[in-house]
Amino acid sequence: MNRGAALRAALAKRLTELLVLLFAISTLLFFLLRLGGDPAMLMAGDEADPEVVALIRAQYGLDAPLWVQYLRYVVAMLSLDFGTSLSTGRDALGLVLERLGSTLLLAGLAVAITTAIAVPLGAWLGYRPERGDRQAVNAVVFVLQGIPGYIVGLLLIQLFVVELRWLTSIGNQGLSSWILPSFTLASFLVPKMVRVIAANVAEAMREDYIRTARATGASGRELLLFHALPNAVLGATALIGTQFAFLMSGSLITEVIFAWPGFGALLVASVTRLDFPVVQAAVFMIAVLVFLVNAGTDVLFSLIDPRLRRQTA
Amino acid sequence: MTTADRSGAPRALLPRLRLWPAGGAGTAMLGIGLVMVAVLLVLALTVGLNPPREALTGNLRLRFRPPGTEGYLMGTDQLGRSVAGRVGAGMVWSLGIALVAATLALALGTVLGLIAAWVPGWPRRVIRTLIDTVIAFPSLVIAVTVIAIMGRGFWTLAITLGLATCPIAARVVYAEAMSLARRDYVVAAQLAGVGSTTILATHVLPALRPTLLTMFAFTFADMLVAESALSFLGLGVPLTAPSWGNMLSESREFLVEAPWLMLAPAGAIVFAVVALNLIGDGIAARARRRGRSAM
Repeated sequence: MNRGAALRAALAKRLTELLVLLFAISTLLFFLLRLGGDPAMLMAGDEADPEVVALIRAQYGLDAPLWVQYLRYVVAMLSLDFGTSLSTGRDALGLVLERLGSTLLLAGLAVAITTAIAVPLGAWLGYRPERGDRQAVNAVVFVLQGIPGYIVGLLLIQLFVVELRWLTSIGNQGLSSWILPSFTLASFLVPKMVRVIAANVAEAMREDYIRTARATGASGRELLLFHALPNAVLGATALIGTQFAFLMSGSLITEVIFAWPGFGALLVASVTRLDFPVVQAAVFMIAVLVFLVNAGTDVLFSLIDPRLRRQTA
Repeated sequence: MTTADRSGAPRALLPRLRLWPAGGAGTAMLGIGLVMVAVLLVLALTVGLNPPREALTGNLRLRFRPPGTEGYLMGTDQLGRSVAGRVGAGMVWSLGIALVAATLALALGTVLGLIAAWVPGWPRRVIRTLIDTVIAFPSLVIAVTVIAIMGRGFWTLAITLGLATCPIAARVVYAEAMSLARRDYVVAAQLAGVGSTTILATHVLPALRPTLLTMFAFTFADMLVAESALSFLGLGVPLTAPSWGNMLSESREFLVEAPWLMLAPAGAIVFAVVALNLIGDGIAARARRRGRSAM
C-alpha cells in the first residue's frame, strides 16, 4: 500500500469514528434525558404551572411519540440545528462558536508551555538516566505527577494572586490573565510528557544507530539533538490523540476555576442548568475537534515519519 | 544539557538502567506504596467509617481555627467543623467511589478485551471501533453530562466513571491478549483440543496478572482524581457529603483567610495518588525485570 492510500484509509477510519461518536453520544443524551424524567418538567422547573409545562411540551414537540421525537432530533442534528439555548434564547451553536477562540487560545498556550518544558527536561533526564541528579529530578517529577491539575491551579492562585498579588485569576483580561490558566492547563500534561520523552530518549540511546553514529565520531550533543531526540519526539506525537482528550477534560476544569470565557466553562454551566441544546452543541464541537486533531496527526505522521515516506513507490 | 558533550567515551557496552531502574527499586517503590495504602486503609476503616462528631456538626464559635488548635489537628472550617475529621470521613466517599469505579472499569475492560482478542470477525471490529472512538473523547464531558441528568450520588458517580474508563482497560487487555494468543504454549493448548474458556482461564488470564495489577493501581488513582474533579465542579457526590473534591470546592471561597481548608484535602489526594502510582510503577518494574532475566 502506498502512502496516499494508507493516509486515505486512516482518514476514512477517523471519519467513521466521528460519525459513530456523534451518533452514540447524541443517542445517549436523547434517551438519558427522557430516562431522567420529563424534559418539559426539567425545563419548566418543579413548581411550574401545568399549562406552562403543556406549552413547552407542544413547543418542543415533546407530545409526539418517542420514535418521532428521536427521528426529528437526528434530522436536526444532521443539519447542525441544535436549537436555541433554554436560558438565553440564543442560537446554541452560535454561543459555542463565539467561545471557541478563547478555548483554543488557552489550549494552544498550554500545549506550547508543555512542549517548552517537556522536551528539554525529558531529553536531559533520558540522556543519562542512571546519574544521581537525574534520579533526584525523576523523583520530583514522580510526585508532581500525583498532583491533579486543578489542585495546581488552586495552589497557583493561592501563591500568585492571594499571597503575592502579582497576577489576576478571573477571566480573559489580556496577557497577565493568561499566565495562570495556561500553566494550570499545562500541568495536566507536563509530567506525563516528561516521562514519555525521557523514556523514549533513554530507549533511543540504546539503539544501534546511536552506536553507529558514536562510532563515526558524533559528539554527545549531536547524538542527543540529531539522533535520539527526533525519534523520541516522534514517538511522543503518537500520544497526541489520547492527550488531546485529556487536554479537553483539563480545560473544562481550568476554565471553571479561572472563569475563562471558553466553551468548557459554558458546557459545565449549561449542564448544571440542564440547558441541553447548548450541551449538545458543545459536545458536537468537542467531537469535531477530536476528529480534526486525530486526522491532523495522521497527516502529520505520513509527512514526517521516514518509515512511512519510504513506502511511497 | 551542559553534560551532553562530556560523554565522548563510548558507553554502549555499559549496563543500561531504566528511567525508573528495574529490580530493587521496583520492590522498594512497591513496598513504600503498600505502606502508604495501608495507612490510608487503616484511617478509612477507623476514622472514615466512624467520623468524629466534630467533623459533621460544626461549632460556630470555633470557625476558621488554624491547624494545631487544641483538639483540631488540621484546624476547623467555615462552620467550625474539624477538617481532619472531614478528610477522614471523605475517605469513604473518595476512596470508595474510586475503588468501585476502577474495579468496574477493569472487569468490563478485561471481558471486552478478551472477546475482541479471541473472537475475530464482527465482534472484534465492533469492539475495536468502540474502543478507539470512546478513548479519543474526553471522558469528563460524558461524566459531567450523565451526572447532571441522573443526579449526584455514590453509585451514579462510581458506575459512570467505571463505564467511561473501561475502553482504556479494554485496549490494553486486547493488545496483551493478542500477543499471548500467538505464544507457543497457547497454540499448543489449542492444537491439543483444549477449549477456549479453559485456555483463557488457565493460560491467558494468569499471564495478564502483572498488567492487570499495574493497571488497577493507575486506574484507581485516575478515578480518585476524576471523582474529586467532578465533585469540585459540583457534579459529583451530594453537595453535603464530605468528599475530598467537595472540600476543595468549598475551600475556594476561603483561600485568603483559611488556606488549610484547601491544603488538607489536596494533601490527602496527592498522598493517595502518589501511593498508587508507586505501587503501579513498582509492579511494572518488577515484572519487567522478571521478564528480562527469564530470557
